[in-house]
Amino acid sequence: MTVQFKPTETFRDTFTYKKSAEDILRFPFPFPEDEYMYSVNIEPHVKGGPTAAFNAAFDIDEHYVAECRERERVLKEDPKRCQVLPHMLTAEWDALELIMESLAVDYPEHFSLSKAGDVWTWVNRPLGLHQTFTFGKVETLPYGPFEYITRQVQGDFTLQDQREDMLYVDGGMVTTQADWSFEFNIGMSFMEWHGPVPLANEKGVFERALKYLLRLQCGQPVRRLNWTMTINPRLDTSPENYPVWGPDRTTVTPENVGDKVHLRVELQTLFRLPRSNAILFGIRCYLTSVNDLVKVPKWRRRLHRVLRDLHPALAEYKGMPRYRQMVVDYLAPMDDGVPTTKGIAPETDRLDG
Amino acid sequence: MSDQGIKSKPTYSKIAGDKAARYQLLLVEGAGIPSEAMAEGGDPSAFETWTVAHASALPAAPMMDEAPGAVRPFRSTQHLLSALEERLDRETMGLRLYAIGTEPFLWDAFNIASAAGLSRQEMQFAHAGPKARRIYCVHCRTMMEGVTTSIVTCKGCGAALFVRDHFSKRLAAYMGVQVDAEAPGEVPQAEELYK
Repeated sequence: MTVQFKPTETFRDTFTYKKSAEDILRFPFPFPEDEYMYSVNIEPHVKGGPTAAFNAAFDIDEHYVAECRERERVLKEDPKRCQVLPHMLTAEWDALELIMESLAVDYPEHFSLSKAGDVWTWVNRPLGLHQTFTFGKVETLPYGPFEYITRQVQGDFTLQDQREDMLYVDGGMVTTQADWSFEFNIGMSFMEWHGPVPLANEKGVFERALKYLLRLQCGQPVRRLNWTMTINPRLDTSPENYPVWGPDRTTVTPENVGDKVHLRVELQTLFRLPRSNAILFGIRCYLTSVNDLVKVPKWRRRLHRVLRDLHPALAEYKGMPRYRQMVVDYLAPMDDGVPTTKGIAPETDRLDG
Repeated sequence: MSDQGIKSKPTYSKIAGDKAARYQLLLVEGAGIPSEAMAEGGDPSAFETWTVAHASALPAAPMMDEAPGAVRPFRSTQHLLSALEERLDRETMGLRLYAIGTEPFLWDAFNIASAAGLSRQEMQFAHAGPKARRIYCVHCRTMMEGVTTSIVTCKGCGAALFVRDHFSKRLAAYMGVQVDAEAPGEVPQAEELYK
């Protein structure tokens, strides 16, 4: 079934973002068990998984057009949300190639790519773009290659340079982030940019993940899920705009908690790039309200148990102290105590309520 | 509160020198080398040394030799840093760069040296002098020098900023983030932490 785009939905001010039943069921629910702690939960990024969000290298859903418009708006307000250090130009072209080829294969009805030697023609039907350019010639595109293509994909992206057995975040398109500043972090090492994360550093999670990623092979991408919670379906929860979205956290009440509080999931993907040996890191953000999640019995039981038992340091880091108990109290009567099965699949094809 | 557990906060060591160096240049943000900044057995007479006099009147004919043991004074920290770029442009492989001073000085020197092609392994940094911080306002990008308190008012946008331990070497600054963004007006008492 071809997805119906909803180009006018909004992720700020009026918050007209809504999910169809299909869109709820394809949500990459982040908890495979009834309790949560940081781990190196990395697996091969192969097509096919517990929900339809895992069916493509770069997932496109019904919010595609609206998210690209939101990105354009953030970039107008703050052009430095997209920056690439000069030594990463080869990685920019690598990323453009990977994304264009993947989209054209996974969504032939929406995207096509044709090549005549170095002269490529890219067609993006949902956004109405038709671009002929010369691969390797920056002046033949309206933006740098990385910015050009990442304006046309959902989710944030960073480019990691690998040198001296370390990864450095030396480029990025970051407009839908969960409270980390790209302008502040650009140029940082893997260990530095994860410096503020509690507990995981002490558990050695980042040392192990780094060792794993330094050996990442071309053509064998990997993925993991990360999560937090966001009030209202707001994509741009950057530290830059914290004075804009921070007050939302005080607006949650026992009456509106189900609609206001959203589970924010990042489907994180990592691809080794062929020419530059850099790594493309995709951070694809999905937002689902508590009221949409409770329509799946397994998810409402598990979300209640995870939030109820969450380590206080994690709740603090994720900015949840003001409203976590309200979410737990709201979910508690909906948790019948029935054991849940392992894994994140919804195990239903229709929604309750 | 003084340790926020953030791993991007830099750590420093003493200057030990490097026997494998072809040439060694030491930058000191002060008139003399503080003895506590040198590792045991470290011998500054093996380095070309640049110092900061914090005085406009320099000797009429200051030492300008580019040689081990030479000590060249500069009027100010900025005066020294402005000469560093040109000096490093003329250098070749095998140079080791050392710096002793405040955090903003060390990381300003680091950024100049990185742009000149030196890697972190070719540098040594010793932290000496005041612990006051350079703060980057994450909301409006204003830099503030000499911050000694846990909370500071941004000179650019007026936000009351909490001073995090999250440090960017590229900006040579710690992050300041609005402390009362969620509930405007709820600003805790500032504490004198970084002196």
